[in-house]
Amino acid sequence: MQSPLRLERRLTQPKWLNWGVPLLSLLGALILGGIVLLATGKNPFSVYARIIERGFASTDAFSRTLISATPFAFTGLAASVAFRMGLINIGGEGQLYLGAIGAAFAGIAFQDQPTAVIIATMIIFGMLFGGAWAAIVGILKAKFSTNEIITSLMLNYVAAIFLDYLIFNSNSYWRDPKSYGFPTGKRLVENAYWYDISIGPIAIPFGFVVAVFVAVIVWFLYSRTRFGYEVGVIASSPSAARYAGIRARWKIITVMALSGALAGLGGASDVGDFRHVLDAKGVQISGYGYTGIVVAALARLNPLSAIFVAVFIGGLSNAGYALQGPDFPSGLVGTLQGLILFTAVAGEILTRYRIKRQNTIADGAIV
Amino acid sequence: MKKFLKIATVVTAAALIFAACGGSDEDSAPDTTMAGATDTTMAGETSDVFTFTNFTPFEGGTVVKCAPADGSALKAAWIYVGPINDGGWTQTHNAGREYVQEILGDKVITTYKENVPEGPQVEIVIDDLVKDGNTVIFGTSFGFQDAFLASAAKYPDVCFEFATGYTQKNNMSQFYGASEDTKYLSGIAAGAEAPEGSEIGVVAPFAIPEVIRGLNGFVLGVQKVNPTATVKVVWTNTWFDPAIERKAAESLISAGVKAIASFQDSPATGEAAKVKGIGWVGYDSDQSEAFNDIWLTASTYDWGPYELAKIEAAIEGKWISGDYYGNLSDNFISIANYGAKVTQETKDLIASERERLTANPAAQFTGPITAQDGTVKIAEGAIPSYGELMSMDYQIKGITTDLPQK
Repeated sequence: MQSPLRLERRLTQPKWLNWGVPLLSLLGALILGGIVLLATGKNPFSVYARIIERGFASTDAFSRTLISATPFAFTGLAASVAFRMGLINIGGEGQLYLGAIGAAFAGIAFQDQPTAVIIATMIIFGMLFGGAWAAIVGILKAKFSTNEIITSLMLNYVAAIFLDYLIFNSNSYWRDPKSYGFPTGKRLVENAYWYDISIGPIAIPFGFVVAVFVAVIVWFLYSRTRFGYEVGVIASSPSAARYAGIRARWKIITVMALSGALAGLGGASDVGDFRHVLDAKGVQISGYGYTGIVVAALARLNPLSAIFVAVFIGGLSNAGYALQGPDFPSGLVGTLQGLILFTAVAGEILTRYRIKRQNTIADGAIV
Repeated sequence: MKKFLKIATVVTAAALIFAACGGSDEDSAPDTTMAGATDTTMAGETSDVFTFTNFTPFEGGTVVKCAPADGSALKAAWIYVGPINDGGWTQTHNAGREYVQEILGDKVITTYKENVPEGPQVEIVIDDLVKDGNTVIFGTSFGFQDAFLASAAKYPDVCFEFATGYTQKNNMSQFYGASEDTKYLSGIAAGAEAPEGSEIGVVAPFAIPEVIRGLNGFVLGVQKVNPTATVKVVWTNTWFDPAIERKAAESLISAGVKAIASFQDSPATGEAAKVKGIGWVGYDSDQSEAFNDIWLTASTYDWGPYELAKIEAAIEGKWISGDYYGNLSDNFISIANYGAKVTQETKDLIASERERLTANPAAQFTGPITAQDGTVKIAEGAIPSYGELMSMDYQIKGITTDLPQK
């Protein structure tokens, strides 16, 4: 039997959809989550109040949310710039590792320089390493038409093994020869730590400020320049792009490298802002790169929205840990978080399609 | 190096305390004034400071008052890197928490946070826990250590307890135990299971002294009953990753090992061993029921009693930081129930060896102990000191695989 409802592509997208749909999605998630919570004997209102309190509402909670949001912002931006051209870069994870490796190298090699020089070189090396790693995927796709989903994903595993090798299985430049017992990376000198920028009581990690700055640049690049226009043409119609004389191959390599450089910047921030060491295990457990894909999807590939979504997910993740405990299993936390993300993505469809009632006569005729 | 310094300080602290006590017996306890190195006389029978078998306060440490001043229930929290149902490490730590809650009832409110990734998230979680009023916080993953140190500095009135680390702080203790002794006992079961002169596989996490001395203990157990057997190790570079652990186990099994052991947090090695019906020595938890046909035994921990004692000390205002290294004598370590494959003869041998190690921890390392390269590391008749055990960074003869790059 045919469904009485069907989806129809919207020819025009009214402006209110841009804020109306996300709000309605969130409301839907809260209602669905509320049902789950009631079914498990929890008071939805107190749970939601705690999520808001521990994720967003107080200044110190918000500062902590920004810490969690920073890596998501970079990987979200990285995924967005690639997806905008239809390049499905799943390799943000590995590109972030490489960025961390590059930044840790710069942080160790230039440790006698002034802080500004160290931070600048860490950013440059992080972007170079991440960008070069992603460029491998771009070149393979441009020259041999390999599927970038597979190559970028596979390179994540290679990057993880390389990272392990540097810290656990070799006397590499990154490994601390004095780390007796457990193998660790060389710690950065305190002079190389990226500092927080305080706005009133809120401490903003330097990396987050960089992410916002980068988001603005990417937004400008994609919506106000010839480069961005051409990327848009390639994404919507490769053959039209060819007729127009756009060199798609170069664009593929450039955009992949750009995407990787942004993920690599996330790795640099991970070393400079937070860990102050190339932490081979810790960075792998965290899975920032994969979360970045969710961020990009929720932000509808808009670089400015990606920042807000990263903050939202960062807060949601922190609040999730705050909720957890003997009477609140982490599975329930995951269910709530999943519901919120799921309805957000599902709601996104409604901005592009609308629901139409089927013709009832036709419906009856088929039965 | 840090580890060496730690040992040096612990040993000096112990020496100072015993010197000050004037040859006292093991029941007498150092009190705060002694730790403070003042010349006041010793306290009487009741101590003002936490004491416990196999616990040595850090030198110069002072009592930290971390119970709520108003006498309300103390809040304590545990932070885990894995899930509480991992079938190993985290699960046994959570059992310790449940034990504390059960014994102390409404005097304590315990909570936990699981699946916390190493890195900035740990400090965020601690901030939240402190905000919720938790004043005793346990950390159970080596990779949490930096975050714990930073938080201990940030919250001097919160008592931190850290498992398997090495750093010391006035409000941060270290606790762990001599699993090299129980791994030795489990090695006997593996050595008896495998035919003479065959290969035995080990799936091991990181090539660090803590794991290496356990591995060596295990191999000595194997050699006790099967002197010509050799041991092959795969290093996984992870504490908990069922997929990687299983792959490592499968690679050993396909290379022809006749028994297998894992020092990992999950039972994945057992699952691989079960497919081929190979005897398995587990770690951390008793899997004798789920894997009975292949199960041999396992080295296990009982975290609860120490954790309970420390929380009671906090409630009584006697908490002090120090180094706890439990052993068979206080039942911190033990071995799990035997599986169907273990013969009575083996059980008897393990029982008698257990008695020997209970009286003399680390007796299995009585020299001569020869490293892989043939150098004698522990001289004939000698038993390694605590410091030598803590810094054991060589594999003994009988292990055929090399250590990863040091």
